[in-house]
Amino acid sequence: MKTVKLIVVGFGTIGKGVLEVLRMKHKLVKQRYGVDLQVSGVCEIDGSLINPGGVDIDSALLYAARGKIREHPDWKAEKSLEVIRKVPADIVLELTPGNIKTGEPGLSHIKAALESGKHVVTSNKSPLAKSFYEIAALAEKRGLSLGYEATVGGAIPIINLYRDNLEVNEVRSIYGILNGTSNFILTKMFEEDLALETALKEAQELGIAETDPTYDINGTDTAVKLVILANSIMDKHVSLDDVKVTGIGEVTSESLQLAKKHGYAIKLIGDVANMEVSPRLVPLSHPLNVSGTLNAIMLDTDVAGTLTLVGHGAGKIETASSIFSDIMHIAKSADISRK
Amino acid sequence: MKVDMVLKMRDVPGMLVKALDPISRHGGNIISVTHSRGEKDIVSVNVSFKVKDQSSLDLIKKELARQRIHVFRITIEGRKYYMKKSLSYILIGHVIDTDIQDTIDRINTLGLVSGVEVLMTSPKQKSSVLMDVEIDEKSNGAVLEMVGKICKEKGFLLIRSL
Repeated sequence: MKTVKLIVVGFGTIGKGVLEVLRMKHKLVKQRYGVDLQVSGVCEIDGSLINPGGVDIDSALLYAARGKIREHPDWKAEKSLEVIRKVPADIVLELTPGNIKTGEPGLSHIKAALESGKHVVTSNKSPLAKSFYEIAALAEKRGLSLGYEATVGGAIPIINLYRDNLEVNEVRSIYGILNGTSNFILTKMFEEDLALETALKEAQELGIAETDPTYDINGTDTAVKLVILANSIMDKHVSLDDVKVTGIGEVTSESLQLAKKHGYAIKLIGDVANMEVSPRLVPLSHPLNVSGTLNAIMLDTDVAGTLTLVGHGAGKIETASSIFSDIMHIAKSADISRK
Repeated sequence: MKVDMVLKMRDVPGMLVKALDPISRHGGNIISVTHSRGEKDIVSVNVSFKVKDQSSLDLIKKELARQRIHVFRITIEGRKYYMKKSLSYILIGHVIDTDIQDTIDRINTLGLVSGVEVLMTSPKQKSSVLMDVEIDEKSNGAVLEMVGKICKEKGFLLIRSL
């Protein structure tokens, strides 16, 4: 039995989802892969749960649910960077929300983890979009893995599909729906003839849209994911400034009704070939015409042809699926050596 | 020269006569006409005719476009003349108030605006306008560039097809 220790940095929605799935799948992972996943640290903004022998998942989730994480017996006032550097672990899970302009605090967390010899798995888009090549080079130099499947498309295994299954393919273009919130809003407007403001309000009431949905509506979130795909799959060496971004803020319900009448839907499409995010007319029979919060990504390759992947682009449990895909890729490799 | 033309038109009374009239009017001598109802509400018509020269054919094409009859394919003396492509996009903005005729005329220098549909909740609100443009396949980029330029100039949001 191989023991693999994790440090969870960021105990918000995604962090809690990861621990919930770990609780759910711990036994299965042990039986199927001979891997005992343990959590040696869980970092919040002002302190951390630390237990090198393994933080108890049930109690961590229970204390968090009661809003009393700071009263947990393993709670220490140590900040995330110290924990990442000092607490023994194999993989750091960087799950904080990031600042798109600076990539922080995730960027510092990722660098600290790699510099202290720990593999990194992240769901945080900002550091990847800001400094992909710098982080990837650091990981390679140290002989460590950098998993970032969860940064794009939620549960859709796009990055790992390319890495593990399309070895001889040249990817000619990637495009698709990369933001579930805007797709939910456009679907509501299309199906129920609603104004954008009404559809947005409904999305907020259902917890699909954040209180501040600016980046979903103005296309920035899609653009960030586009940059990650462009660099990691097509090696384009681009940044957020290279993307021409038009959001859905100006899309009217009349335009959706016109589109429908002529056999189209309107979708917010990220298009790597043109480095562009914009609302586009998508034929109703097209594979990218997916409803609600679904994401859909098309890869145009020279050998495999066109591949379409459809799945849930958000949700804490669905995103955890991608995080565990990266964790297990590292955990199953033979060279886990704890620092 | 012998011309074979495939036309696509809406299945409404009088459309066929409307489509054949420009051919006769510009000196075309019709040899045969066959039509089939395949797609929903759209009739495909194959017309073979003889016409004096290219300029007569151009006049026929222009008149058909004016009548909003879609020329799908033209074959001259058995050789494919050109294949047209239909491009659709939506403009959102004050499309009427900013001289929609000017917008159409400018696009018509590169293609042919064959359909315009406007939805507007009130005169003060922005309108949503769907345009269909018939273009030669090779002029796709130039037409989109032109539409993009107009949108920037007149403050429209452009929603183009995938």
